[in-house]
Amino acid sequence: MLEIRDLEAGYGGVMALAGVTLSVAAGEFVSVVGPNGAGKTTLFKTVSGTVAARAGSIRFEGQDLLAVPAHQRPHLGIAHVPEGRQVFPSLSVEENLQMGAFTEAGRRDWAANIEYIYRLFPILLERRRQLAGTLSGGQQQMVAIARGLASSPKLLLLDEPSMGLAPTVADQIFDAVVEIRRARNLTVVLVEQRAVEALESCDRGYVLETGRVVLSGGQNELLSDDRIRKAYLGM
Amino acid sequence: MSPGLILLENFLQALAAGLMVGCLYGLMCTGLGMIFGVMRVINFAQGDLMMLGMYAAWYLFTGFGLLAVLGPYAGPIVGAIMAGPILFVAGWFIHRFLVSRVTGVKVASTEGAGHYAQLILTLGVALILQNGGLILFGSEPRSVRTPLSSSAWEIGPLIDNDFVSVFLNQGRAVGAVVSIAVTVALFLFVSRSRLGKALRAAADNPEAAVYMGIDVDRAHRVAFAVGTGVTAIAGGLVAIYYPFQPYVGLEFVIVMYAGVVLGGLGSITGAFWGGMLIGLVQQLSTLILPVQLQNTAIFVVFLGVIFLRPQGLFGRNVERV
Repeated sequence: MLEIRDLEAGYGGVMALAGVTLSVAAGEFVSVVGPNGAGKTTLFKTVSGTVAARAGSIRFEGQDLLAVPAHQRPHLGIAHVPEGRQVFPSLSVEENLQMGAFTEAGRRDWAANIEYIYRLFPILLERRRQLAGTLSGGQQQMVAIARGLASSPKLLLLDEPSMGLAPTVADQIFDAVVEIRRARNLTVVLVEQRAVEALESCDRGYVLETGRVVLSGGQNELLSDDRIRKAYLGM
Repeated sequence: MSPGLILLENFLQALAAGLMVGCLYGLMCTGLGMIFGVMRVINFAQGDLMMLGMYAAWYLFTGFGLLAVLGPYAGPIVGAIMAGPILFVAGWFIHRFLVSRVTGVKVASTEGAGHYAQLILTLGVALILQNGGLILFGSEPRSVRTPLSSSAWEIGPLIDNDFVSVFLNQGRAVGAVVSIAVTVALFLFVSRSRLGKALRAAADNPEAAVYMGIDVDRAHRVAFAVGTGVTAIAGGLVAIYYPFQPYVGLEFVIVMYAGVVLGGLGSITGAFWGGMLIGLVQQLSTLILPVQLQNTAIFVVFLGVIFLRPQGLFGRNVERV
């Protein structure tokens, strides 16, 4: 579904991605882990088009994604839940979800999606008229994920959904992600610093360091790799 | 009449004038507030775009037969409203070919977010419009000649049979009513419609808006064009009672910015009430101060409000993250 080849991207003189090759098959749950500054967020932004690629290619369902303007990529079925949540603070919760449903598919499936979302996150139903900027961090993360779901995506990109959340709240969010993936049969790519949880819930994983893929493999393979255990799992 | 009643009559008269002028200022401010709220661009040319709106209304009225067809009462009003779509188109092109080069998502991540280029650009557009206006329209002050501006409705007498009457200049009164209608329409557009919500989303967080599939540059273009059109309508309405020349924009752009900042940046309703407050202060100050000091009074109140509430009267603390 997503084919990334020798992708290079950066900011000014800084190279953030130095030739990343990565693929995701339909229905897969893929985790991308790695330390700060490894290029994980840049990878997502390049897929979404808010960072320009300098070299390489990205194909989504066979289509050359780099030829599609950033604002049209969501309409192809890519939902990007950005790092740091980035909800629309002065819009209500429900208006945030409506913006998620800006895509044609999202509008078509609005009734079913909204019902699913409110069942998944009942607190959002309760707060649907509240301004998203006044919610707690965990609730904002729920809005961000729900907003992604509201677009009826084929591919869900989740960038550090646990960032800045209390551990119990982060666990809740993780459970929700696993549940969403199971219930909706979505293709999910998860970027996470909490490597254990990320690797435990995925099918396959990639380890990114300084803009390069240093390791990739199935869940068990990665979890039993000595380097991973030392560097990320603290064992 | 006793001195007390005269005082009361003067006060009510100034209050009525303030409310009417306030509605017109409010409409102007809403137009600017739309542009500033969505794009965060300081548009120095707003006053001059309003000037174009005044001339558009004037030409429609005198040159294009609105006077002949609709008469001296409905003609100026229809002319003012039609100035809106005309300047909407002008705003669309100004954004498409000039403003969009120095604004938008691409620029937002650059150093200083492109603000220097934006300031110089809109200042340049302002100067070109002023001087171009001078060449095209001449320096002679124009006014939309209509009986509306020289006649008044009398409210009252409010006490007994012959005391305390308030006179409403018909030009201003009709302008105020149209202003309220346009403001309400704009408010409904921004708060209820899908496109309006997309504009607010693009204002809140342009990057996240892209992730929703919103074309942020296009959202900015819509905001710029709508903001220009709305201010042009206000201009056309002001032209009914106020003589104008190509430099008239300077007088109003300051008022507009004061109103938008007073109301709280980025809030459409706030911008309207900010403009309203300025109209009220301007007119009520004439009760105790010489007329020449009315703009001074505005800025004393302005500084007072900013000192006590830096976020403006309706500014939210939630604001952008």
